[in-house]
Amino acid sequence: MEMSPFKLLHRAWPGWRHLPRDSRDTLFLLCVIGWTILPHLAHLAPWCMALAALMLFWRAQLALNNSPLPSRWAVAAVLLVAAALTLWSERTLLGKEAGVTMLVVLMSLKTLELRARRDAMVVFFLGFFLVLTNFLYSQSLATAAAMLLSVWGLLTALVLAHMPVGKPALRHAGGVAARAALLGTPLMVTLFLLFPRIGPLWGVPQDAAGKTGLSGSMQMGAMAEIANDDTIAFRIRFDGRTPPPEAMYFRGPVLTRFDGREWTRQTYSGPQVSRPRGELLLLGQPLRYQMTLEPSRLALLPLLELTPDRADAAPQLESIAAWQRSDLQWQTDRPVTERLRFEASAWLLHRHGPRQMTLGLRDHVALPPDHNPRTLEWAAALRRQPDLAQADPRTLVAAVLDHLRRGDYVYTLEPGSYGKNAVDEFWLDRKLGFCEHFAASMVVVLRALDVPSRVVTGYQGTDPSAVDGYYIVRQSNAHAWVEYWQPGEGWVRVDPTATVSPDRVVRGTALVPRPGLMAGALGSVSPQLLARVRSALEAANNRWNQWVMNYSRGQQFRLLERLGVSAPTWQDLAVALISLLCAGSLAAAGWALWDRHRQDPWQRLQQRVRKRLLQLKVPVQPHDPPRTRARRVREHLGPAGEPLAQSLEALDRSRYAKPGRPGFARGWWKGFAESAAQAGRR
Amino acid sequence: MSAIALPPGGLRQRLRSWWLARHPATDTWTLNQHNIYILPTKSGWAFGLTLLVMLVSSINYQLNLGYVLTFLLSGSGLVSIYLTHGTLRGLTLHLRPAAPVFAGEPALLEVVMSNPGSARHGVGLRWQDRARSQHNAWCDIPALGQASASLSVVPATRGWHALPTLVVETRFPFGLFRAWTHWRPASAVLVYPKPEQPMLPLPPVQSAPGGAAQAHPGQGSELDGVRAWRRDDGLRLVVWKKAARSGQLVSRETTAENSRELWLDWQAAAGAGLADVEAGLSRLAAWLLAAERQGLVYGLRLGGQQFAPDRGNAHQRRLLRELALWK
Repeated sequence: MEMSPFKLLHRAWPGWRHLPRDSRDTLFLLCVIGWTILPHLAHLAPWCMALAALMLFWRAQLALNNSPLPSRWAVAAVLLVAAALTLWSERTLLGKEAGVTMLVVLMSLKTLELRARRDAMVVFFLGFFLVLTNFLYSQSLATAAAMLLSVWGLLTALVLAHMPVGKPALRHAGGVAARAALLGTPLMVTLFLLFPRIGPLWGVPQDAAGKTGLSGSMQMGAMAEIANDDTIAFRIRFDGRTPPPEAMYFRGPVLTRFDGREWTRQTYSGPQVSRPRGELLLLGQPLRYQMTLEPSRLALLPLLELTPDRADAAPQLESIAAWQRSDLQWQTDRPVTERLRFEASAWLLHRHGPRQMTLGLRDHVALPPDHNPRTLEWAAALRRQPDLAQADPRTLVAAVLDHLRRGDYVYTLEPGSYGKNAVDEFWLDRKLGFCEHFAASMVVVLRALDVPSRVVTGYQGTDPSAVDGYYIVRQSNAHAWVEYWQPGEGWVRVDPTATVSPDRVVRGTALVPRPGLMAGALGSVSPQLLARVRSALEAANNRWNQWVMNYSRGQQFRLLERLGVSAPTWQDLAVALISLLCAGSLAAAGWALWDRHRQDPWQRLQQRVRKRLLQLKVPVQPHDPPRTRARRVREHLGPAGEPLAQSLEALDRSRYAKPGRPGFARGWWKGFAESAAQAGRR
Repeated sequence: MSAIALPPGGLRQRLRSWWLARHPATDTWTLNQHNIYILPTKSGWAFGLTLLVMLVSSINYQLNLGYVLTFLLSGSGLVSIYLTHGTLRGLTLHLRPAAPVFAGEPALLEVVMSNPGSARHGVGLRWQDRARSQHNAWCDIPALGQASASLSVVPATRGWHALPTLVVETRFPFGLFRAWTHWRPASAVLVYPKPEQPMLPLPPVQSAPGGAAQAHPGQGSELDGVRAWRRDDGLRLVVWKKAARSGQLVSRETTAENSRELWLDWQAAAGAGLADVEAGLSRLAAWLLAAERQGLVYGLRLGGQQFAPDRGNAHQRRLLRELALWK
C-alpha cells in the first residue's frame, strides 16, 4: 500500500529531515495514531472524530514549534467534556460504541501528555487496543492490511523510544520492528492454529443484534438503520443454474404476534415439537447451493426458501446444532459467532402449511384492540364491497395489492417516524415507507379482513453479479414480506413491496440510501470502474474469508485429524499447543546451551588458521596476530608461502581497518585454504 | 541483586560471597549468559495485561483478526527477550585506567565497549548505586566496532578509591524486558587531597646550596642556555624560533631552575594555625600546584620523608601521590 512512506514524505516535505529528533518521533507517532483512528470515521460520532483530529493537529503543532504541553487541568477538562458528549450521543459509557468512542478520545488526549517514558508506553498499549477495535467493525483483507501497517508503525515508534542515542533513521527502527515481528510470526501461526476457539466468555452479542435486520422482532422504522449497512451477510453459490433474483427469498424469523407497536415471533418451538406430516410439499427439482454465512450473532440460519429438514437437503454443520421450526425458519442452538460454510438444497416451488382451517391459524388473525381503528374501518369498508363480500383470501389479497398499486404509495428509505397508530398513518395518510411498512400494514389489513397472515423477515436478492461464483447478500438486502393462508394450499407468499417498487424485488437491489455528496460524485464518474474494482476486491476478500477468517473450531479439529488424532476435542488442541510451546522452549534452551560455548567469530577463525598453519609446520602461538603469523610463514616456508603470507596480511589489514570499513570478508577462508593447499604441495 | 534485603547472619554472608564469586573484580568484562540477567519491566507486565485484555476481547467478540493481532504482539514480545538479551550478549567492556583527581572533583571513567557482532543500540551504563547516577550514559555500538561511554564519580576524600559496581543495561528494542549485568571494576582511582581554597601565599624561596640568587619566583626567564625538550616541559619553555630552525624541540634552561628552590614543609603548613592533618595536606597540595605553575623548583618534606626538589609534571604527580597516600 505504501512501499516507501519515508520517500514519499521526503518528496512532499523536504524539511522533514531537518526536524529535531523529538519532533520527528512525535509526528511519526501522531501519523500512526491518525492512521489507526481513520477507519473509525465510518461509524463513530462526528464530534468524536473531529475532537480526535483537533487534538492530534494541536499536538503536531506543539511538536513542530517545540512548545510546552498544555497543563493537566486543560487535558482533564477536555476529557470531561468528551465523556459528557459520549453520554449524550451514546446514552451510556459502557458497551462497544461508547467504549470505542472513549478509547479514541483518550488516545488523542494522551498524546498531549507525552511527558515521560511511562506516558509513551501507555500510548503504545492504547494504540494496540485501538487496532483491535477496528476489527469489531471489519475483518476484511483491507482492514487487515491497514492495521498491519498500524502495528508496524506502533512497533517502530516503540523501538525509536528505546534508541536514546543520536537521531536514528526511521527506516532502521522500522527494520528492527519488522524483524521482531517476523521472528514472532512462527509463534503467532502456532497460536492461531491451535489456540482453542471457545465461545464468548460472557454475553456481549447485545450490541451486534441491532446490526442485522433479523433480530426476531420488528418495529416500524427500526429497519431504516440497516439500510446503511453494506456489510456482507452471507455468500451463496449455486450448483447448476442460478435462480432469478426475484425468486431468492432467504427465510428468517416469522413474526406472528402484534401488540400494536412491535411484531414478535410465536413462542419457542424446539426440535421436539413435531409437525404434522404432509404439510410440506416439495415440487420440481432441488437446487443445490453452498452458503458462507458471516457471524451474525443470531441463533438462526437464513436459508433459501425452501430448504426442508431432510437428510439430503439440510445443511451439515459440525460446530453448531440447527433444526427447522414449525414456521420453517432454521434455528440454531446458539448465536452464530463464527463463519459457517455449508451446503444445502432448496425447492423454489413448494407448498407448506395446513390445507384445512386449524385452530392454530386463529393466532394469525389476532389484532390488538385500540390500535389503528381507521385501517380496520377501511378494511371493513373493503369487505362490504359486493364482489368481495364472500371472496376467498386470494381475491382479497389481490384487491389489497390493487389498492397498493393505485394508491400513490411511495417506496422510500426515509419515511420519517410514525406514531401510535402507525398503520393508520401509513396506510391512509402518508403512504411513505419501505418493505416493513408495507408488510406490516398489509398483514394488519388482511387480518382485519379475517385472512390468516403473518410477516416473514429475511433477505431478498443478491448483488447483481457473482464474484468467484459467489453471489453476495448484504445486510442491506434485509427484507420483510407477507404470507397469507389460502384454504387448500397453505401459506402463500406475497410481497407488497414488489407491487410498489418492482425494482426492489425483481432486480434484487439492496436498500440504497440517498448517496452522500462524495459517493454520488464518485459513482457518476465511472460506475463501471467502481464496480470492477469492487468485485476484484471482493474476490480477494472472499479468498481471505475462506482461508484465513473462516478458521474456526471445525478447521482446528480437521487439522488435528490430518495430524493423526482421531475424534479430537478441544483438550487435544490444548495438549498439542502446550507440547509445541514446550518443544519450542526446549529448542531455545538447547540453543542457549550451545551458544554459551560459542566463541567470537574472529577468535574462531584465528583458531582454524592456527590449526592449518601447524599442519604446515609453521609454529604460531594462539595470541599471534595475523601479521606475525605472516612473518612466521615467510620464515618457515620461504617463497612457497608467499601467497599464504599475503593472505594473512590482507586479513590483518581488514581487521584493523578504520571504523566504518567492512570487517574481514566472509569469503576470506576459501582463498586462505587454497593458498595453504598450494604451499603444502610444494 | 544486592539491593534485595537479605536476612542477617550466615545466609546473608554466604549469599554475599556467592555474589562476589559470580562477579569477580576485573577491568575487562565479557558479557555472556553467565552474567546477563533479564526480567520484564513494569511496561512488560503492563503489555502482558494489555495482551490478556485483547485476548478476552477477541474471544468475546469472536474476532479471528483479534487473535492474529494478539498472537503477533505476543510473538514479537517474546522474541524481544532474545533481542534484548542479544543486545548485551558478546559485548566486551573495558575500563580505561582512570586519571587521578583531586578530592571533590569528578573522576571521569571511560568504558570502552567492543562489539564482535552486529550493531547494538541503547546500551546504558550507570553506577549500581542510584544515588551516584540518576541517568544512564547511553551509547550505540556499531557492528564489529567500539564505542565508549563515560561516567564520573566524585570522591570526597584522598587516597585510593575502589570503583563502585557498575550496571550495564538495555531495554532495546521494545522496553518490555530489561537485561543487565553487574560489573565490579578491579582498578581504583587515586584521589589527591583537595587543594586549599583560598590558598595561603607560598613560603619564601631559599637559595640553593650552590647559588646565591634572590627569590624572584616566576621570573627565571633569562636565557642561560638550551637543552633538549623533556616531556614535562611546558609550552612556555620551548624555544620556538630555534625549534623551527632545527626541527627539534628545545627548551630554555633558566638560571632560576638551577639556583632557587622552594621547600614545602609539612611543619610549615601545619604550623600556620592548622591542627587538622587533612587541612595541612590540602594546603601542601595547593602550594605544590602553585609552585609548579610558577615554574619553581620545589621539594617536599613530609613527616620524616624528604623529596628532593625538582620540577615538571612527573615530579608534581609523584609528590601529590605522596600527599594522597600519606599515613
